[in-house]
Amino acid sequence: MIATVPVVQTRDLVKRYETGGETVVALDHIDFSVAAGEFVSIVGPSGSGKTTLLNMLGLLDGPTEGEIRLEGEDVTDLSSRERTAARKRTIGFVFQHFFLLPTLTAVENVEVPRLFDDDPETTARAERLLERVGLGDRLRHKPSELSGGQKQRVAIARSLINEPRLLLADEPTGNLDRETGKQILEEFARIKREDDVAIVAVTHDPLVNEYTDRTVELVDGVTS
Amino acid sequence: MFEWFDRRFPTQLVARRNLSRTKVRSALACLGIVIGVIAIASLGMFGAALRTQATQNLGEIGNQVVISPDRSEGVESLTGRDVRTIERAADGQTVLPVKSNVSTITVGRQQSRVQLYGMERPAQTYAARVGTIPDPLRSGALVGSSLAEDLDIGVGSTIEVDGNTYRVRAVLEEGDAFNPVSPDSAVILPERAIPESGYDNVIVVAETGEAANATAQAVRDSLNDREPRVTVFELSSITDQISQFFTVLNQFLIGIGSISLLVAGVSILNVMLMSTVERREEIGVMRAVGYQKRQILKIMLAEAILLGVVGGIAGALISLGAGMIIHQVLLDNALLAFRPEVLVYLPVALGFGVATSAISGLYPAWKAANERPVEALRN
Ligand SMILES: Nc1ncnc2c1ncn2[C@@H]1O[C@H](COP(=O)(O)OP(=O)(O)OP(=O)(O)O)[C@@H](O)[C@H]1O
Ligand SMILES: [Mg+2]
Repeated sequence: MIATVPVVQTRDLVKRYETGGETVVALDHIDFSVAAGEFVSIVGPSGSGKTTLLNMLGLLDGPTEGEIRLEGEDVTDLSSRERTAARKRTIGFVFQHFFLLPTLTAVENVEVPRLFDDDPETTARAERLLERVGLGDRLRHKPSELSGGQKQRVAIARSLINEPRLLLADEPTGNLDRETGKQILEEFARIKREDDVAIVAVTHDPLVNEYTDRTVELVDGVTS
Repeated sequence: MFEWFDRRFPTQLVARRNLSRTKVRSALACLGIVIGVIAIASLGMFGAALRTQATQNLGEIGNQVVISPDRSEGVESLTGRDVRTIERAADGQTVLPVKSNVSTITVGRQQSRVQLYGMERPAQTYAARVGTIPDPLRSGALVGSSLAEDLDIGVGSTIEVDGNTYRVRAVLEEGDAFNPVSPDSAVILPERAIPESGYDNVIVVAETGEAANATAQAVRDSLNDREPRVTVFELSSITDQISQFFTVLNQFLIGIGSISLLVAGVSILNVMLMSTVERREEIGVMRAVGYQKRQILKIMLAEAILLGVVGGIAGALISLGAGMIIHQVLLDNALLAFRPEVLVYLPVALGFGVATSAISGLYPAWKAANERPVEALRN
């Protein structure tokens, strides 16, 4: 059997921030990888570098040292333009604060990543995704007319519109009550199973372990 | 109603929704553009109406040259030889020698001292309001419009001049205010009715303004060669000056209008900057999900331009109304606002309005596009 290429993989990843003459080592030689269909959670105390790692994996920021591979391809030194294109192609994002566009309806929000692609199928696909996350009856609602859990489900649908290989979520349940958070995590587990997507979620939520395949703990920028 | 449009132009969908989010603020920014566009368009139209009003009084005289004896040099009249010299210089243009005299005319029981002109072919330069002007004029008389009114003369009336009676053949159209041979209060008789031997004026009616210019120069060259003998009056030089004056006036008016547009531009800049700050996270998300910088730039710029287009169109429509009012007041005809040289100020002002908004939107859009998504999304 051929060893499958990890969806995302880091080698000796270092991220240092220089602020006011002081150097903060946010990530200290991290080796990390996720395979397709794997759900990994990252836990750790505040300031341990979880968000920083997620930003590296999501190509939102570049590392100081080390290497990142996305589906086997070295993406460490891509230009900002190429990174943006790679994000669009392969990565979906879910945020703690949902970040929906308040002026757009649920369907339109899901369509946002493809708004400029001039693809007549997008709307139908967005509607299907919303139905799948249980919002088939809220298609034309504005974010202000939705509950927190519903907003996060719209955000999940949005993250799936481009059929990503990798789904990154920074505290996706952080703004939700326990029960709603559980539903969101179940949603992730289902996506992982059905779409064979790699999922990395940062969380403080102890519940998350029930759904994940593996948990990585970060302390002061070092995995343990 | 926008569905199809939104699908084709998603930029403007997002832009429109974003503007509607802060309706009052957008409306105020728009209002600035409306006012600026109205200022430019209606001041421009006002200038055009003033120009029309002025040139209406001047009439179509740009192609005439009037040659008179230079009295300051002691020349009292032009001789037959002078006329022939002018005819040569005029090179095929119509040359009309004019004799003049002041005499008493009698109409019925009224008497009046009036200006008399003796001309062979007045039909070449004057038009009849009533009746027809025989060409050449061998018998009968033509009467200027104000004189005809004062003495109640009509076509067919008889007037007596120096013991001879003439039948009135035509009442003339009002002449041009600047014309030295103004017919309004005069009587025009056949040339031989005036006894003097010399001519007091020679009118050259050229085909075009340029031909008039050339003729004027040629006459100066041939008659004033050795010593000044004639004065040459080109009506086109006056119309040129007037038209230059109005061009400057118009530029000045539009300049004033532009100041208000500048203020509008600053207000759009302000609105857009506020909006980029407020929407920092949204823009960060869009960048994260794969929007390139230039797409963000397009969206933000579309917002600014949309403000300009909406404000500009409203401003242009209001200006059209203002233009009609201006033309009604100045020229007694609101429909004159629909002439191309007036209407042109609408697209010009609209263009200025849209360009102002686009330029004002440029910096905020650039700023939004270049914000790093990691910074924007940190909470
Ligand atoms: N842009 C930056 N400039 C300077 N230092 C930074 C920057 N971003 C992060 N850091 C530092 O890097 C370290 C890791 O930050 P990070 O945001 O990854 O922590 P975290 O694990 O996500 O914490 P939390 O659980 O509170 O979200 C922190 O010490 C933080 O102060
Ligand atoms: Mg964090």
